[in-house]
Amino acid sequence: MSEPVMRSPLHSFGLASQAKPIDGSSGVWANEIPHIGYISLRGDGRDQAFVSAASKALGIPLPIEPCTLATSESVKVLWLSPDEWMIVSAPGQANALCSRLELALAGVRNQVVDNSGGYTQIFLGGTHALDVLRHVSVYDFESLQPGRVAGTTLGKSSVYAFRQGNGYRLIVRRSFADYIWRYLVRAANPYGLGIADVPVDNLVGTSTASVNVAAG
Amino acid sequence: MTSFRVRRPGARIDFEKPLSFSFDGQPYSGFAGDTLASALLANDVRMLARSFKYGRPRGIVGSGPEEPNALMQIEAGAHTIPNLKATQVELYDGLIARRTTGYPTLEFDLKSIGGLFSRFMPAGFYYKTFQNQKLWPKFEHIIRQAAGYGSAPAEPDPETYDHSHRHTQVLVVGGGASGLLAALAAGRAGLKVVVVDEQKECGGWLLSSPHSIIGGKTADAWLKAVLGELQSMPNVEVLTRTSAFALHNMNLVLAVEQLQDHLPLGARSAHRPRQRLHRIRAENVVLATGAIERPLVFGNNDLPGIMTASALTTYLNRYGVAAGKRVLLHTSNDHVYQGACDLVRAGCEVVLADARARVNPAWEKRARAAGVDLRLGYGIAYARGGRAVSGAQLVKLDAERNAVTGKGPSIDCDALGSSGGLSPTVHLYCHDGGRPHWDDEKLAFVVPATGRAKSRIYCVGAVTGEFGLQQALEQTQRTIGDLLASLGKPAGTTSATDVHTDEPASVPPRRIFRIPDGMREGHGKKAFVDFQNDVSAADIHLAVRENYRSIEHIKRYTALGFGTDQGKLSNVNGFAIAADARGISIPEVGTTTYRPAYSPVTFGTLAGLHADETFEPRRYSAMHACHVARGAEFEPVGQWLRPWYFPLPGEDMHAAVRRECLAARRGVGIMDASTLGKIDLRGKDVREFLGRVYANDWAKLAPGKCRYGLMLDENGMVMDDGVTACITDDHFVMTTTTGGAARVFSWLEKWHQTEWPDLDVYMTSVTDHWATAAIVGPKSRQTLAKVCSDIDLSPSAFKFMDWRDGTVAGVPARVFRISFSGELAFEVNVDANYGHHVWEALMDAGREFGITPYGTETMHVLRAEKGFIIVGQDTDGSMTPLDLDMAWAVSMKKPFSFIGKRSFARSDTAGPNRKQLVGLLTEDPEIVLAEGAQIIERTDIAPPVPMLGHVTSSYYSPELDRSIALAVVRDGINRRSDEGRKTGRDVLYAHAGGKAHKVRLVSPVFIDPKGERQNV
Amino acid sequence: MFVFFCPHCGENREEEEFGYGGEAFIPRPATPETLNDDAWGDYLFMRKNPKGWHWEMWSHNTGCRKFFVVKRNTATNAIAGSWTLSDGRKAYDAEGGAT
Ligand SMILES: [Zn+2]
Repeated sequence: MSEPVMRSPLHSFGLASQAKPIDGSSGVWANEIPHIGYISLRGDGRDQAFVSAASKALGIPLPIEPCTLATSESVKVLWLSPDEWMIVSAPGQANALCSRLELALAGVRNQVVDNSGGYTQIFLGGTHALDVLRHVSVYDFESLQPGRVAGTTLGKSSVYAFRQGNGYRLIVRRSFADYIWRYLVRAANPYGLGIADVPVDNLVGTSTASVNVAAG
Repeated sequence: MTSFRVRRPGARIDFEKPLSFSFDGQPYSGFAGDTLASALLANDVRMLARSFKYGRPRGIVGSGPEEPNALMQIEAGAHTIPNLKATQVELYDGLIARRTTGYPTLEFDLKSIGGLFSRFMPAGFYYKTFQNQKLWPKFEHIIRQAAGYGSAPAEPDPETYDHSHRHTQVLVVGGGASGLLAALAAGRAGLKVVVVDEQKECGGWLLSSPHSIIGGKTADAWLKAVLGELQSMPNVEVLTRTSAFALHNMNLVLAVEQLQDHLPLGARSAHRPRQRLHRIRAENVVLATGAIERPLVFGNNDLPGIMTASALTTYLNRYGVAAGKRVLLHTSNDHVYQGACDLVRAGCEVVLADARARVNPAWEKRARAAGVDLRLGYGIAYARGGRAVSGAQLVKLDAERNAVTGKGPSIDCDALGSSGGLSPTVHLYCHDGGRPHWDDEKLAFVVPATGRAKSRIYCVGAVTGEFGLQQALEQTQRTIGDLLASLGKPAGTTSATDVHTDEPASVPPRRIFRIPDGMREGHGKKAFVDFQNDVSAADIHLAVRENYRSIEHIKRYTALGFGTDQGKLSNVNGFAIAADARGISIPEVGTTTYRPAYSPVTFGTLAGLHADETFEPRRYSAMHACHVARGAEFEPVGQWLRPWYFPLPGEDMHAAVRRECLAARRGVGIMDASTLGKIDLRGKDVREFLGRVYANDWAKLAPGKCRYGLMLDENGMVMDDGVTACITDDHFVMTTTTGGAARVFSWLEKWHQTEWPDLDVYMTSVTDHWATAAIVGPKSRQTLAKVCSDIDLSPSAFKFMDWRDGTVAGVPARVFRISFSGELAFEVNVDANYGHHVWEALMDAGREFGITPYGTETMHVLRAEKGFIIVGQDTDGSMTPLDLDMAWAVSMKKPFSFIGKRSFARSDTAGPNRKQLVGLLTEDPEIVLAEGAQIIERTDIAPPVPMLGHVTSSYYSPELDRSIALAVVRDGINRRSDEGRKTGRDVLYAHAGGKAHKVRLVSPVFIDPKGERQNV
Repeated sequence: MFVFFCPHCGENREEEEFGYGGEAFIPRPATPETLNDDAWGDYLFMRKNPKGWHWEMWSHNTGCRKFFVVKRNTATNAIAGSWTLSDGRKAYDAEGGAT
């Protein structure tokens, strides 16, 4: 029997082999950042016991301010609703993190679900990234500040979006990823689309949390 | 040759850049900067169209979106666009244009023969003639062909379109003098500003009047300075060739930007969209939409060569084309005087007939000094000419009443321009429920100078009725000052001297719309109000005589304002004539409703990127590549694309499905079940919650077990179904139908959030996280055993409706022993990132047993053989569990009155003779009934035949080697009972496609009625 | 197209992110079995459907997925405000449950 191999939702586009360092040759740069861990965390953001237990397990304060996110060396925690967060973790870490959360939250009303197979992440950068986002979403991306997250509509699907490093990150549902990728490719057509090398140390945490987003 | 090129300083024509183009197959030339209309005019092409009803020769009337006649078919083949206004088509090299009217040719139009039709085609002709509906189909083709207008392309559109969602603090609609001044003030105050203008460059009327003086500068220089400053501001964006066509509530303005239409086909970039729809959400909207000049209504006013006076001026000053050598102007107001002087300076002889006996002395002096032949107190009774205007007969007008007091001179001319005053472009202001009001001094429907501050809609310039340039700019300064003040910004970034102009203060226009000719309406020469629809002043009088009162009715009866110009020239004249005919005032007549779109928008633009491969989301499972590699045929199931069947070389669908079915029944099959909805539920009250939202009971379901459930709506009707597993006492995983996943998830959240927030339950969708392979058939256990060693798969340890966690093909997996086929089956769920790997591993494991992948078609056959329903196919929102003979899935003993329970007791739901699910067997086993076939009792009754029900599912069963079907039939369960069989009530007919087939009602379970196979 | 203020996200968002949730404050009867068919029918089918101010629910579908309350004028499309379900209930009751 062959060894288990993971295949990301955008595997069939063969993006990894087309990737190159970002330069001025294209106005938009994008790529899939595959195999990140995603945990859905539910609980009452007004319940101090829940917030402190979750914060302890995560190693950073759970963001309870609407539409914000918190970042540590190893995880990024996205506020999605007053009782829902998405925890983005390094590849392979989701399982252990789930156990840690479940242990810490025992006795508190909560839900911890490993949803790593259900999402993927798209990097979107370049001088015209904002133009592309304007083409595909009704959300006012121009006003999206670093440290904030927007759950919104993308085409006829949905997305959680935030700024990270030199671009935007779009967390999209697995089964919609193909549609969303094609949609982004078409929207980027006027500007030229390059498949970007996304630095490995720029996947999840703070290590590269500079906030220079090219604003179009 | 009547019209000719003039090199006017300030004109927007580059005489160094000649362009060639063709019209109706004839080659012509123009220059860069021309519109198709200005180039045709410069080539002295007068007749461009034939009128809709009477086939009368027609020429260019306007210079912008108001043009009613010069509708063109641009380009050919896939790129062709019908009904563009020549006045809005920018000329490019190689442009191909064709007329859209004139049948069979422009020169010879059938409808025009001897005015043959005109006598018989009064207002309401079509209504009256075709009241008898049977006549219309016979004549429609001929009438439509004769009526003309362009043709849509027959090939797919090769060009692309996109949308841009913008959010701004200030949106300025219209880049004329007022709009630019508003943008300048807002930009200087640091606000984020977007300016849209429909033309290729900003300037509006200033482009037609480049020598006006603003703040000591010529209009040309003023424009350069203002646009330069706007361009230097990072917070200001100016979008030209961008037409705002709708204003929706909360200041959402839709505008279409033409990105490539002005380029030769060969120069268009495949990387750029042809057009872009901007959806602009603006905190403040500034409407600087200006005004459009309306013509005066007089006899034969539709002859080619007769235009609005402003169009004549625009062609002269902006495009360097004088429309004639001898020009007759006719006016009721001041606006034509500058143009009259300009025409004289360009070398034309100009006669200006002003309907007013006393006019603005300042203008009178300037006009006479320039050499304009001024005739005061005259009107045009009618124009003369055949294919083009050759002169006009004037009449002396009474100074007060709109009546003829004497004959006037006959004037020869080869171009005629008239001005009945300006009509503000109030459309956008009115799209969102606003109404214009009639200003009896300015003789115009205007919007309030204060706009609608509450909605943050501000109006500046001519749209408010400020028609003088200086007054318009002063009003703009005041209004933008208010806007800025309301935002706490200092006003006054532009001063009074900045807007000082050299224009004389205007005096009131004369209230005249229809120039009297001394005859009763309908007896003189035809005087047109709406050129595109051939609506004359007499038609409006006729409508009033026939007792139409509301202007909305008169409009529909006469077709006034119905054309592609949407009444931009004709509405006010039409309302005024209706008012006169009824003897009431214009405000009493009111206006018709202004609706989007202000000007026509292509379907491609509205669709944007929601077209072709991104028309709708296409969802794929993690195993999709596995199916593609095996040659699957796919079918859309909601947004998903699922394998339909897997044909081997040479197999048709029937053969493939037969092979797949038999494999699942006798060996082992495998199906991708990833698309089912999956919801993870957690909390100590999940059991209670499930008990409320499902019809059956969940109190005793033990960890490690699964149960099938029916979900009902509050009417007691089945809305979804699926299997739910108990993981632990406070942790369950629910599955839903593929199509119902999103709806069910939202439904559950709604009940939890709105009714039962106290229940300790959290729900999260895990549909996309799990990839699911169902291995089905007698050899499924042996197959699974080869790749799963940590679950005891023996029948005693892992029973039907159990689930286990374990490892499959090296990957953590949750395995359910459930079955949608009636066979021994396992559903293997893994993290979707491993879906591809696990599918391939299962295929390898099953190879020795002949494992056979199957798709949705075989799945349907297998489940129908077992009588398992598909919600939405065998149910339609009117079926209770009892109608489905599924009382076993309802627990009436639960303490909480679960959703839908109370409705069971309603009289109709509890009553007899309901449609119930049954099996059907055709008398002829080879007949596969059409789904949707109606069930009837006998074939020998005359219509209407009572319908007893219909076929919901129908297949050929390879296992039974005959056809089977499911149907819903009135009183079906009794009919198929032993009692029913005895009395013969079980024999009915299924009727479809004109044929009735004898059928017998049976149990819907065709195979293994005791359910032994799935328990092995 | 509307812009709604989501009381949970604390931001104005475009209508495309939301779904209509029907008239607000139609509580499910606590004991449906005690209702006669008319009363049950009222709960199921009868809605105020006013021309004017209407208390209704919207769901922030692609955002926080929460239902919330909007007071909207059905004739003018003016929006008086949006609230969480519980705050909206208080505002509604303060108006005497008026339409
Ligand atoms: Zn929200």
